Amino acid sequence: MTTLREAPPEELEEIPEDRDDRELVKASTFLWLSPAGILVMALFVLPTLYALYIGFTDMQLLGPHAQHFSFTGLANIKQLIHDPVFWSSVKLTLIFVIGSGIIAQTVLGFALALLGQRAHFSLRASVGSIVILAWVLPEIAVAFIWYSFGQAGGTLSQLIGHPGDDLLSTVPLLIVCVANAWRGTAFSMLILSAGLRNVPQEVDEAAQLEGASYWTRLFRVTIPIMRPTIMTNMLLITIGTISDFTLIYAMTQGGPGNETAILPVYMYIQAFQFNDLGYGTAIALALIVIGALLSIVYVRQLRPELRRVR
Amino acid sequence: MTSEQEQLEDLLVVTDSHGSDGEPRARRIRPGVLPGISVNFLLLVLGAAFLLPLIWLVDASLNPHASAALSGPAWSITNYRAALAAGAGGAIKNSLYLAVVSTIVATAVSTLAAFALSRRRVPFKASLLLVILFLTGLPVTLLLIPIFEIFVHLGWVDSPFYTSLVLAATSVPFAIWLLKNFIDQVPRELEEAAAIEGASELRILWRIVIPLAMPGILVASILTFINSWGAFLIPLVLDANPNDQPGALGIYQFMSANGAVHFGPLAAYAILFSAPVVVLYLICSRWLNGGFAFAGGVKG
Amino acid sequence: MANIVLDGVSKFFKGEKAAVYDLDLEVEDGEFVVVVGPSGCGKTTTLRMLAGFETPTKGTIRIGGKVMNQVQPKDRDLAMVFQNYALFPHMTIEKNLSFGMKIRRSPKNSIKKEVEEIAGMLGISPLLGRKPGELSGGERQRVALGRALLRRPQVFLLDEPLSNLDAALRAQMRVELKRIHAQYPVTTIYVTHDQVEAMTMADRVALMQGGRLQQIAKPETLYEQPTNIFAASFVGTPKINFFPGTLRRGDSGVELDFLSCTQHLNGALGAKLSQLPINDVTVGFRPEDIRLAPRDVAGLAVVSATVELVEPLGSETNVVARVLDQVITCKFPARTGLSSGDVIQLEFDVLQMKLFDKESTNHLN
Repeated sequence: MTTLREAPPEELEEIPEDRDDRELVKASTFLWLSPAGILVMALFVLPTLYALYIGFTDMQLLGPHAQHFSFTGLANIKQLIHDPVFWSSVKLTLIFVIGSGIIAQTVLGFALALLGQRAHFSLRASVGSIVILAWVLPEIAVAFIWYSFGQAGGTLSQLIGHPGDDLLSTVPLLIVCVANAWRGTAFSMLILSAGLRNVPQEVDEAAQLEGASYWTRLFRVTIPIMRPTIMTNMLLITIGTISDFTLIYAMTQGGPGNETAILPVYMYIQAFQFNDLGYGTAIALALIVIGALLSIVYVRQLRPELRRVR
Repeated sequence: MTSEQEQLEDLLVVTDSHGSDGEPRARRIRPGVLPGISVNFLLLVLGAAFLLPLIWLVDASLNPHASAALSGPAWSITNYRAALAAGAGGAIKNSLYLAVVSTIVATAVSTLAAFALSRRRVPFKASLLLVILFLTGLPVTLLLIPIFEIFVHLGWVDSPFYTSLVLAATSVPFAIWLLKNFIDQVPRELEEAAAIEGASELRILWRIVIPLAMPGILVASILTFINSWGAFLIPLVLDANPNDQPGALGIYQFMSANGAVHFGPLAAYAILFSAPVVVLYLICSRWLNGGFAFAGGVKG
Repeated sequence: MANIVLDGVSKFFKGEKAAVYDLDLEVEDGEFVVVVGPSGCGKTTTLRMLAGFETPTKGTIRIGGKVMNQVQPKDRDLAMVFQNYALFPHMTIEKNLSFGMKIRRSPKNSIKKEVEEIAGMLGISPLLGRKPGELSGGERQRVALGRALLRRPQVFLLDEPLSNLDAALRAQMRVELKRIHAQYPVTTIYVTHDQVEAMTMADRVALMQGGRLQQIAKPETLYEQPTNIFAASFVGTPKINFFPGTLRRGDSGVELDFLSCTQHLNGALGAKLSQLPINDVTVGFRPEDIRLAPRDVAGLAVVSATVELVEPLGSETNVVARVLDQVITCKFPARTGLSSGDVIQLEFDVLQMKLFDKESTNHLN
């Protein structure tokens, strides 16, 4: 039996319908999401909103304003602006993040990745393991090790020939930066070696044929190709380092004086030692702002690549 | 020498083993000055530099007269006994509690959420995913004071359980993101086939999706565990009870107590505290063939 | 009764043309229907709607008389063989096969017995302890089939199950599938893009294009009486030949001009065509309906052609010849003794001629 079909109508009705039925909305969807949702709501969203409030109050840990605190408007902000320790803290934070994080870890990590690429296999594996071990150690252990190293009579002072020097008093920022670099390099090493592996060999070989030297190839070919990876790595390092508390607090408590008081440490000191929760929160908010600004810089750099991925 | 290594001589990076700060640094030198430096040598030197602090730690833990300086090992376990006497055992137990509870909660919660985000239609999914990604970078420093206040009101301070919930929460965004990517890779057809066979959603999740996403689940759990194990600031603020102190706080107490620093016992304490995590990493890396292929995790 | 009725079923995706438009299809209980068509014709979407993975935007789907639009796949009592088999990679073959029965809580012994029985029937018994990753494509396909059979469903759905197999295996599986269907005559919907599978396996063929059902008919009927040009060219290898033609109506009736012939159209066809206001037609002849004519025979539909290409296939020979500006493919019996450049006489079997309205492409006779 044959059937004759009529010519199709030109205009087809457009019924708004979701692209993919397979992703059905069911009641169960919300069931799956709810535990995570509740946790995130309660422990992220709510506190963030609350923090936005506390930062503008005179709330205290103990004392008259612990229970009865009031909104003080921009008082905390004004205090921040006029607080030399705050600004020094900002500077220290930037030095810490950029110096020991972005520069040191990236350079060391990249060097290790590059060397590892061409080294003897077992050497690469063992050095890699050592570097990663430094990373896996709990932060307090790292703090203790470098605290001891930087002491008067510690290994570092011995190595530089001044065994009596308490490096933690003389160059505390440097020591904590070194400690942080030692600890964090593994992360960059892993990410950058993965990135290196993704650089197509043919491109490097083509450059070789053109007569490019190793350095030229590295800076003109390899690194540009790896740009997204490098940028992402820096972004992640920044995010991780900027709120780092344990390492510095355990090593120096922000001292001597305030010489190593990066923002998270300063926040803690103000909130829990100087009793000023409101001001401490304001400092934390400042920290977020700085972190966000830095992130925006990276995301801007990454945007062309991100668009392609999406 | 291979041609690659010959090319590498153009590199001529030489490690200056004692820079002004005692930390080995790589510096460039004009080509032709120092031939014969091979990649292996450089790597060895860097490796040795990284190894030094670790060697000191082990050495100090075994030397009853340990000081801040490196000295020969003396092979004694006195320090370990002292560490245990100082409360290492209890502190490590506390860390275990915090880590285990937070890992279980975080993994369970994240797996469910990742499943829903990967497979089901969720309103505003794209924005939600972006928010989650953003949350992975949110410093805990901002949340700590408000959470502290809220917990005080609720009477939830000084409780290991609620502290571990906070620890779980800090790992959840990253875990969701990681797990969603893993679950995305499980072919949808398998779920459809199971559905045709009459399987309910729960059964599909339990018997099909979770077993196939297991590598991701394990990675997420291990990362959460490691993160929570070394927790310092969060327990410091939320739990003032000295009996609840996890290892990180215990070590810190020990460091800052009683005037002189007891390097030997502290080193032993640090090693005892680090050992589980290191072992976990070794098991995991053997299982994943040579280290975390994808490294991540929020520090601090 | 597991018959299937699709009534006015349409499926729209946001912002795109309809994937399936106004589909009316009835499948009898136990019938083997092959839904065939080129990529994107809507056949897979139709299958997925039957399975329950997509919901029809309009229309109703009834299985066994019950409306199924809102029913979950797991409750539809169907079995499906996926194109990529969809075997659970982390389970053994045995667990894969018994998965559904465990859900239905069949007793352990009967599970074991049935699994062994089906495995024996499909020749996969030695594979029961292995995992899908260790099996070849053909073996996996049979496991997928086994899993579907074990469900004892009211409807079988198959989504291009043979497309990942090599030609020899495909031919073998075609026979096996038909044999299995003879043994378990379950209503079957089989989706493919391969017209050979459609023609050899189907009780009826449903041809789709652009989301619409073009024709549903027995294979022979589809072949001999295609509803339109698309249907005519979809089945048959080599493809049907088309040339333009003109109809002239005169006192003696309707005459058709094509190539250099004129054919007088008699009887019912002529009567019908004299009523229709159509002048331009497309004339279709299948390659096997064109013969080598003996020389100098007049009065029949005969044209002179020049041979361009001779393709000996062993059992028959395809000859591509040129008439004026038209290229014609003919199918001749094995040895022809022809070579490129020869001039031959081609005779068209007018009884097998297919006429199509040039505009609407519909079949006229």
